Amino acid sequence: MRRWLIATLAALAAALFMWPLAGRAAGGDPPQAFYRPDTPKFPQARTWVAQKAKLPPYRAPRTPDGVPDLQGNWNGPVGGGNDDLEEHDYIDVTTPPQESYVSDPPDGKVPYTPWALAKRNEIRAGLARGWPGETGQRLYTDPSSLCVNGMPRLAFGGQEIIQKPGLMILLTANTYRVIPTDGRAHMGSDAKFYFGNSRGRWEGETLVVDITGLNGETWIDSAGNFYGPNTHMVERMTRVEANTIDYVITIDDPTIYTRPWTMTYPKRRSGTGPGGNAGAIPNAVAAAAVAPAADPYAKEVWENTCLEGNHDNVVLLKKLGFKWFDAVVPPK
Amino acid sequence: MKRWSAGLSVALAAFALFALAPVPGAAQTATGTYTPPRTAEGQPDLQGIWQVLNTAAWDIQDHSASLGVPAGRGVVEGNAIPYTPAALAKKQENFKNRQTLDTENRCLLPGVPRITYMPYPFRIVQQADKVTILHEYSRVMRYIYMNGNPHPEGPIDWFLGDSRGRWEGNSLVVDVIHFNDETWFDRAGNFHSDALHLVERFTPTGPDHLLYEVTVEDPKVFTRPWKMSMPLYRRQEKDIELLEYECGAYLLKQEWAKPDSPYFNTP
Repeated sequence: MRRWLIATLAALAAALFMWPLAGRAAGGDPPQAFYRPDTPKFPQARTWVAQKAKLPPYRAPRTPDGVPDLQGNWNGPVGGGNDDLEEHDYIDVTTPPQESYVSDPPDGKVPYTPWALAKRNEIRAGLARGWPGETGQRLYTDPSSLCVNGMPRLAFGGQEIIQKPGLMILLTANTYRVIPTDGRAHMGSDAKFYFGNSRGRWEGETLVVDITGLNGETWIDSAGNFYGPNTHMVERMTRVEANTIDYVITIDDPTIYTRPWTMTYPKRRSGTGPGGNAGAIPNAVAAAAVAPAADPYAKEVWENTCLEGNHDNVVLLKKLGFKWFDAVVPPK
Repeated sequence: MKRWSAGLSVALAAFALFALAPVPGAAQTATGTYTPPRTAEGQPDLQGIWQVLNTAAWDIQDHSASLGVPAGRGVVEGNAIPYTPAALAKKQENFKNRQTLDTENRCLLPGVPRITYMPYPFRIVQQADKVTILHEYSRVMRYIYMNGNPHPEGPIDWFLGDSRGRWEGNSLVVDVIHFNDETWFDRAGNFHSDALHLVERFTPTGPDHLLYEVTVEDPKVFTRPWKMSMPLYRRQEKDIELLEYECGAYLLKQEWAKPDSPYFNTP
């Protein structure tokens, strides 16, 4: 059996299974896993923060131009990916119980202002995913189910990191980021992008990426947690062990949140241990699962499409009455 | 005798200068004299941000201007494309119905070589075992494997095909098969079938220029192989970077707002 055929059949099976959940074909998301109700709670920020406090200091090998070497294939977080970033119990087959990704504030909640929390809850109640607390009305569908992707979700999938002098190149399943680390300034603040405008710099062992210019038209997870066009994000990536990158992102927007807040999780090098949720490269991981280890193509990334195979799903979501999600405008 | 010899030397030198000097924009062959820098792995270094400066995205053949379409010299060597009679009729039909038939209008992956000469920059990234082309257009990523693996066994129908590369002198030579028949060469309806076979050559002709040549073979559509060639220019702006053109997002947002968009009524 050829790999692409298996992958296609698997995708079809998944699509059929997922149909009542109204299509989460999701461009940037890792391949879908299915969980039983008795799945133990996946560790996220709380556990990782405690673990990393005990790690001995680590100095990463250097690239030829003398900066820490973060290159290789890295997994996204374990568990249900970015289905719901706050702590939750088992919700459905794709949403296993897990701790919050939020490491600060310590309660693991996104520190929304009151109107923003109401908005998030309104979005969540209109997902029509069969989740508890829904109104039964359809409001918005996750933008990524329409192949609309953005930050910071992209950073919650697996990726291959390539470094060149003055550049970090992050390749994910079907999209990429290129982060200049040459000290250039941000673009003008009126220029808005789904991925924002990233500027990197090295602080010792840590790559610090400052992101402005976000258009706020995508979500932070698939459950309606949102940011906006004034949001500022700062990522910190540090190799804390040979095969682990500590990924930390701080999100700040006084028009939406009461204070800056932070998510964190460990990115494990593909093939070296925990990191169930999707390897760096979905095709390659899928291949490793179904093909003999000797498959010479196992490490290759084959064509990933989103919109190309998603038309029927998009049409369905439109006909079901979901509205287009535009950036949220804070009340005056 | 001496004078004759000196005269000959001067003539030879002049000829050599003329023959070897790079001529911007002129059709050059893959045996240019420019020696590019090498990567750490010892490959010719083709990395950086490149873009065409031509009108092939609209029409790969010589064409006049119309509203929103700049006139242009084509990129097809000899200009004529050797369609079979049936294929030529289909090309003309495509042109007539291009608004609805061209999958670029639905923001689907535009295929190879079309993605290369769309009016958006792209970045070439080299590693030992693959060359990755990052396109600003829809953040398309194209992997060209250099790991010695042959094309995987087909049939496979991919928008961008399966690309296997090798170095010939300073040229990156890429063999591409396993296409689908959903993409065109341009907005003028020039098309191919799933039997398309391309051989692309990226040859550095100077520090800021690549010669991009594509040999096109498709026995279901063309009576013989034919060739396109064009220069690729290194973007010179000091802080040039790939930005974003999220075609699908803009399209869906626009169509979502229309009460009776045909987008949601066509397969």
